[in-house]
Amino acid sequence: MDLSLTPAQQAFRDEVRRFVGDCLPDDIRTRLRLGHPPRKEDTVRWQRILNQRGWAAPHWPRAYGGCDMGTLERLILLDELYRGPAPLPQVFNVGMLGPVLLKFGTAAQKDFFLPKLANLDLWFCQGFSEPGSGSDLASLRTSARRDGDHYVVDGQKIWTTTAHVADWVFALVRTDPSARKRSGISFLLIDLRTKGITIRPIHSIDGQHHLNEVFFDEVRVPAGNLIGEEGRGWDCAKFLLANERTGIANVGLCRERLDYAREMASRLIANGRPLLDSPKLRAEIAQLQAEVRALEITNWRFLLSPDTAQHVPGFASVLKLKGVELQQELALLLQRIAGPDSLRRRPHLGEGSEHWAGPLGMRYFYSRAASIYGGTSEIQKDILAKTLLEGAR
Amino acid sequence: MNFGLNEEQQALQNSVQRLLRDTYGFEKRRAIAASDAGWSPPVWRHLAELGACGLLVPQEAGGFGGRCADVLPVMQALGAALSLEPFLASSVLCATALRCLPRSEAASVALEGIASGAAVVAWALDEPGARGGNPWVETRALRDGQKWLLDGIKCNVLHGSHASQFVVAAHLPGAPGDAADAADVGLFLVDAGTAGVQCMAYRLVDDSPAADLMLSGAVAQPLCLEDEAARAAIQAALAAGTAAACADALGATEAAFRLAADYLQTRQQFGRFIGENQALRHRLSEMFVSLEMCRSMSIAAALAAEKPAEPEAAAELMQAKLIVGKHARAVCHGAIQLHGGIGMTEEYAVGHYLRRVTLLDQLFGDVDTQTARLGDLLADNAA
Repeated sequence: MDLSLTPAQQAFRDEVRRFVGDCLPDDIRTRLRLGHPPRKEDTVRWQRILNQRGWAAPHWPRAYGGCDMGTLERLILLDELYRGPAPLPQVFNVGMLGPVLLKFGTAAQKDFFLPKLANLDLWFCQGFSEPGSGSDLASLRTSARRDGDHYVVDGQKIWTTTAHVADWVFALVRTDPSARKRSGISFLLIDLRTKGITIRPIHSIDGQHHLNEVFFDEVRVPAGNLIGEEGRGWDCAKFLLANERTGIANVGLCRERLDYAREMASRLIANGRPLLDSPKLRAEIAQLQAEVRALEITNWRFLLSPDTAQHVPGFASVLKLKGVELQQELALLLQRIAGPDSLRRRPHLGEGSEHWAGPLGMRYFYSRAASIYGGTSEIQKDILAKTLLEGAR
Repeated sequence: MNFGLNEEQQALQNSVQRLLRDTYGFEKRRAIAASDAGWSPPVWRHLAELGACGLLVPQEAGGFGGRCADVLPVMQALGAALSLEPFLASSVLCATALRCLPRSEAASVALEGIASGAAVVAWALDEPGARGGNPWVETRALRDGQKWLLDGIKCNVLHGSHASQFVVAAHLPGAPGDAADAADVGLFLVDAGTAGVQCMAYRLVDDSPAADLMLSGAVAQPLCLEDEAARAAIQAALAAGTAAACADALGATEAAFRLAADYLQTRQQFGRFIGENQALRHRLSEMFVSLEMCRSMSIAAALAAEKPAEPEAAAELMQAKLIVGKHARAVCHGAIQLHGGIGMTEEYAVGHYLRRVTLLDQLFGDVDTQTARLGDLLADNAA
């Protein structure tokens, strides 16, 4: 039993910390610390800096701009990015589509897309959910009919995060309407500038525009944009959803928010005393700090033990459930620390005049999405219970 | 980083589990609890033969010279079996304090007795005026010629009812005019049979034996009369005890979880297994998440207990005790609930796990105490 880093791992952590310290632009750091989500241009700017260092897609093979980084080093890198706080590499490009292309893509697809994904020359979004297909994803109905060298796509996607700023979407479409549910689905890359695509904003309860509806009306997509075999798109989707586990617990995010909560609670003076003088607030922070530590060790145990998959079934669900719970509690804690100041929604005087506490209120509202996206907490509990009860049989 | 047991730890855990399977099934355990002694000297002898009792005892005193990480797998097995044996009292608390003290004939003999299982040494720190495992000491030591005599009350002395000796913390005589709480603390060894020791035996909520000690002019052998060394030994013992309590609770929690999971797959109502109901399935999943938090922090506690004087390790122990206390209780509550009525009965094991983890939470500072301590640290670090 040992929870410490080796000297080489410590040296790597120090190297990343120095790199983030030296290279992360101050305006991005400040925005993220205040609790704003990164803007597209923040993510692009920073990911290109990371990419030059080989750290934009560190787990990819060297041939495609990665550095074959192992899981622990990736966790260290992630922790240090969160600690910055710096934007993470764009998740749809790097965490989702990249690995799918590496596993299922043709040589030509890999050569064309992977460098652009790593350098954010193309911004992808994910077209999975539909109005009638949320948790029950396999019931999706957007169709792709083969017509010569093209597929003709008709239908609607929803909750498409960043579609309004994206260049492309990777989508699950039904290529065989007669096949049953999971068969007959294909994985297709679609250029969002193609004729027949309409994107409509959905404003979420934080007042922001993250989400969209995407409509496809007779959209012609080259057949060469199919990933894997026609009708085997569910394999890609399953791989994609199961693959990205390294960041699923978001321990680094919890740590960064906890630090900010501690900092603000000791800096803010209310009724003549620092907020941190309140034993109740101290107790809440202490409890969350202990919970984050427990999650951190659990994350290491599950991701780094070679035999975890056999011994701890459903472990990804444990990490997602607990990670989400803590993120939400921390977002609420920060909103409460900010107090009435967190109620200011929009500055009078435009950009730059905003009150520091404003983003904390909005961020709290958006945190409620964490237990909905990426498989709701209820679905996670279903998956976990299945492995706990039926998995043993 | 690694999280598994080494070969020796795995082998010892297997042996202890085998022994407990044969000797400590739930019905046998009930019989042991109902006996006059309230524990099982034959099982204790077996544990000593396996080398478990001397895990933390130095090799020169016949022990294994191990670390708190070696204790974790043993304690986990004992927790799962709802052990009533004096492992925590004698082999963890007293062994740790004694091995941290300057060498003395008395300490060596006591350590040899602990390792061989021939002696049960009990840890007498808590007093009626103390809470939360703090070394709050009102018992006084007085020098009378060549002898030391102790006066005071010690309570919740685990396995105090049948211990052959006690390790007792007491105030040393200060300079005239010194405030009582400024006085130095020393550690003493008191023989159970000696004059001036009155032992009031009782059982704790989990049926384990304990006692209060009334010391009035009790003759004591000094183990350490240096305040700093004595406090360091107490701190080390409490750290080892905290880690052991976490491991014990982990074993108990794991067993309670397993009972509940099995019950969902055997009990039928409305013509189907109750484990088909989503509400119950979700509860089980939540319990599993809690169980894994306990497991992680038990490991953290075992590692931190090796360096109790380091502030980071001290904070880690507080976090561990907090998490295990909170989540072990949540799992045991859930396990009883998933069983329904049968979970409330004395005849069924699941409720006994709640009793055990309730006791463990109170040892060395409960969830509230640890939370308050961590909160104070936050304020100190901010200042």
